[in-house]
Amino acid sequence: MKFTATIHVRPKAEVRDPQGEAILGALGSLGLGVTSVRTGKEIVVTFDAEDEAAARRATDTMGRELLANPVIEDFRVEIGTA
Amino acid sequence: MVKVAVLRFPGTWSERDFEHALSLVGVETEILWHTEVDLSGFDAAIVPGGFSYGDHVRAGAIARLSPAIAELRRFAAEGGPVLGSCNGFQILCEAGLLPGALIRNAGLEYISDWVRVRVEDDGTPFTAGLKAAVLRMPIGHGEGCFVADPATLERIEEEGLVLFRYVDERGIVTAEANPNGSANGIAGLRNAQGNVVGLMPHPERCAEEILGGRDGLRMLEGLVTRSGSAVLR
Repeated sequence: MKFTATIHVRPKAEVRDPQGEAILGALGSLGLGVTSVRTGKEIVVTFDAEDEAAARRATDTMGRELLANPVIEDFRVEIGTA
Repeated sequence: MVKVAVLRFPGTWSERDFEHALSLVGVETEILWHTEVDLSGFDAAIVPGGFSYGDHVRAGAIARLSPAIAELRRFAAEGGPVLGSCNGFQILCEAGLLPGALIRNAGLEYISDWVRVRVEDDGTPFTAGLKAAVLRMPIGHGEGCFVADPATLERIEEEGLVLFRYVDERGIVTAEANPNGSANGIAGLRNAQGNVVGLMPHPERCAEEILGGRDGLRMLEGLVTRSGSAVLR
């Protein structure tokens, strides 16, 4: 089966997010009362797997081994069939 | 003659500078393409700076999956001396050979400048005889802010794994002397065994007076001096 998964990667809560801080400063100039900004990224992958359980194992490996660094980042996965 | 392997990934840019700097201390150097790395017969391995794989995903993240890193792990586990500078330091952290991680500089800017770092420990081949020395070296990086979770940071400090700290001209750790927001002013680390060393500054770029200083050479000299090899073996 073909799956498409979106892997969302974000810096852990206790890790500084300098990009988020910069955006916070910029949003401040819009005067909308923004008090906190955290940034992240999403990676969309299409791949073959036997079933959804196998697809989930595959995306966990992708997240752990490459897409997120467990020292500084968390990731979460949304899986759909392509 | 001491023989050192310098690893080259797609996007590595400091391998020739290392080759030149190492020639100044009388070390034989071989630059190895990352898919063809066999470290048997080498006395040390260096992971130079650059932008391996364009820094995509995270700096050092893709290089970590290269066969060269599997070989480097084996070499390091057997006590082989490993030095990673700049992107090399990032790769060693990504590979888990050193603790923590390097994220975007606190000010978001790429920094190209000279810094001073204080050597915190002389129990590595690259800092032999240099305890408490203040070395002036160049940096050039966008992702040099060292971070670790509080428990890891505490362990790093307790076990004395901090090898270099950013300091001012008096040799004191200050916020102003810290160019990138690194936790505790950390500019470089060693592993518990002392054979794996990583730092953000570039020792290979300050190996001759014509380049503005030769403090980097003092680090590389450990590969050939008695005190260095004593630590080495």
